[in-house]
Amino acid sequence: MITGEQKPIEEIRGMVEPYKRILVLGCNSCVAECAAGGEKETGMLASALRMAAKMAGKESVIQERTLDRQCVKEFIIRIDDIVDQYDAILSLACGAGVQAVGDMYPEVPVIPALNTEFLGETKEQGYWVENCLGCGDCMLHQFGGVCPLARCSKQLMNGPCGGSKGGVCEVRPDLPCAWQEIIDRLEHFGELERLEKIVPPKNWSKKNSSGPRRIVREDQKR
Amino acid sequence: MKEMSRLKTVLEKGTFAVTAECGPPKSADPETVLRKGDLLKGKVDAVNVTDNQTAIVRMSSMAACTLLKSAGMEPVLQVVVRDRNRIALQSDILGASALGIRNVLCLSGDHQSFGNQPQTMGVFDLDSIQFVQAVRTMRDQGLIIGGEKLNSGPELFIGAAANPFADPLPFRVVRLAKKVAAGAEFIQTQCIYNLERFEAWMQMVRDRGLADKVAILGGVTPLKSARMAKYMKEKVSGMDIPDRIIQRMEKVPPEKQREEGISICVETIERLKKIPGVKGVHIMAIEWEDAVGEIVERAGLLPRPS
Amino acid sequence: MLLLLCPSRENLGGKVRAEIMKKKRKFTLALFHCQNIAGSSERERQDMEREYDGSLRLFPLPCSGRLEPLHLMKALEEFADAAYVIACPVSGCRYHEGSARARKRVGRTAEILAEIGLEKDRVGIVEADRVDAESLAVLAGELLAKLDRLGPSPVFGRDSKERPDRGEKTGSNPRSAARNRRGLKAGQDMVAEMYRLEQR
Repeated sequence: MITGEQKPIEEIRGMVEPYKRILVLGCNSCVAECAAGGEKETGMLASALRMAAKMAGKESVIQERTLDRQCVKEFIIRIDDIVDQYDAILSLACGAGVQAVGDMYPEVPVIPALNTEFLGETKEQGYWVENCLGCGDCMLHQFGGVCPLARCSKQLMNGPCGGSKGGVCEVRPDLPCAWQEIIDRLEHFGELERLEKIVPPKNWSKKNSSGPRRIVREDQKR
Repeated sequence: MKEMSRLKTVLEKGTFAVTAECGPPKSADPETVLRKGDLLKGKVDAVNVTDNQTAIVRMSSMAACTLLKSAGMEPVLQVVVRDRNRIALQSDILGASALGIRNVLCLSGDHQSFGNQPQTMGVFDLDSIQFVQAVRTMRDQGLIIGGEKLNSGPELFIGAAANPFADPLPFRVVRLAKKVAAGAEFIQTQCIYNLERFEAWMQMVRDRGLADKVAILGGVTPLKSARMAKYMKEKVSGMDIPDRIIQRMEKVPPEKQREEGISICVETIERLKKIPGVKGVHIMAIEWEDAVGEIVERAGLLPRPS
Repeated sequence: MLLLLCPSRENLGGKVRAEIMKKKRKFTLALFHCQNIAGSSERERQDMEREYDGSLRLFPLPCSGRLEPLHLMKALEEFADAAYVIACPVSGCRYHEGSARARKRVGRTAEILAEIGLEKDRVGIVEADRVDAESLAVLAGELLAKLDRLGPSPVFGRDSKERPDRGEKTGSNPRSAARNRRGLKAGQDMVAEMYRLEQR
């Protein structure tokens, strides 16, 4: 899923300062999974903002709503009937959701409450790790299912580098060396000889081509 | 006729080669580079110039190499893939050759988080092995990545680094083999203190038939103090400094430790000379370039071939 | 002194309550508690709430682990000067993890309060063994006595006009009694609202 973390409340308050009527809009998909922007977190943030406003003697209307998703039009339009009541929307979605809502309601400023971070997995409750760069050209089978681009600090395709020590990356002691994991995995599969071949330079244009990427599926359109 | 790499010539003649390292300054002052060059002149066959080592901004390796060349020295251009995409890398290779630089060392580079610009993007478009391959292809086939033809190719002796002491141990030789297959012609290793472990690695290298295909230069670094030795052991990744070396440094009073460090270095070189497959030594005297002269002399490596 | 000399537990609770009742209270505590604790039957709870005349709101939970940060937050937003939870000791939770989770959630809420400039002490957790513990009445009394020093929450402003009335004795003023009843209902509505919000 896409992960993110809530901005400090002080920063959020600074961003919503100019607005009086604010809709705090949560998302029950990815950001709920990483406990940053789901219904519970949205409730907490809205409550905290109301309390802070009261303490500051500021008059404001802060109300919350949580959508199943904020990145799909059919879900967003469920706030069609209430959006006019607000001067701004404080969105707890990832950047995709914040912008989708902004595109849907261009007359209303949409403010991000989260810092969107990475594509990753829930390794265990309360612990999320990055594992995919969205490179557009997946090579996971070549590396025993461990991505050297997302999980090696130097994105080495012919790793490891000279800084791998005891299965740990030299950059941070809490980072496992992805190449140690790749070697262990392939060894387990009996496919270690895959690594004898030189992996050629990556085609990065599948990630960064001519600007922001698109996917079009005619069979999916109405 | 194009000038040949002097380092290559020395190695081809079978002479035990000597290279040293020169770190460019945190300034635009050419004199600093020329002064360091002066200390090394006549003592070594070639001088490596580091490329923003430890991700700290310094004068560019290319510029410092050119300065050393103008002073009559033989530079080895070190290039890391951390800071440049393939356009810039290939372009710099052509430029280096045009400036008369004849040796290049292709490296990954220390991660940007270690240096003084941790907020930058690390590029890592190519990795060091893909880079070696690209340079080799430019030189031997006159082609850039993607297959387009160059009007003329660079003239460069191609090197890479190897760390016999990093994990995973058994895989280290496979990686070396990949570098050789990619086109590396000489290798400079991480500094050696644990000779037993290095000899074991060299055995694997020979067993794999790599010792004849690539010239291996063993890296050495003289220790300035027992404290430095301990720091390197604990804090620097990829180092293997046996306890007996640390103890040896500690036994000697502080004012004598530099001398002891140089002695250890000289002894290491003497042992390296005897290991089959080791074709030379790479002396990395960090901010201690004036020690190089003494080390080379005491190791019986003077005079250098002209 | 009076409190320390009393031998029996029930008496102790009674004494504490009496002390507190003497002062003119403006302080309201929302107290969430594991329903397994002694002296927390429906009747005992109603008796206590009536006695404290709006200063105490009790919210029984099947386990303290059922507590969400949102419960504490809403309480503080709507009517409470402090919101606490009584939980079994970590080793004594009959659902293994419940009170451990409650502890972490209280901690999380305290962090958020700090971010908006509220005292972290306005939330907290009290450990009480389910089997061998003082009754809810005693614990509630002790907590109220301790937290009174915090004073009214800045959320409600110093003149506490915005929140449901309490702190005056029942029966002394029919109009305030009516207001109290409305206040009680507001608290109950709040909990119902929170549980409803959690239905997905």
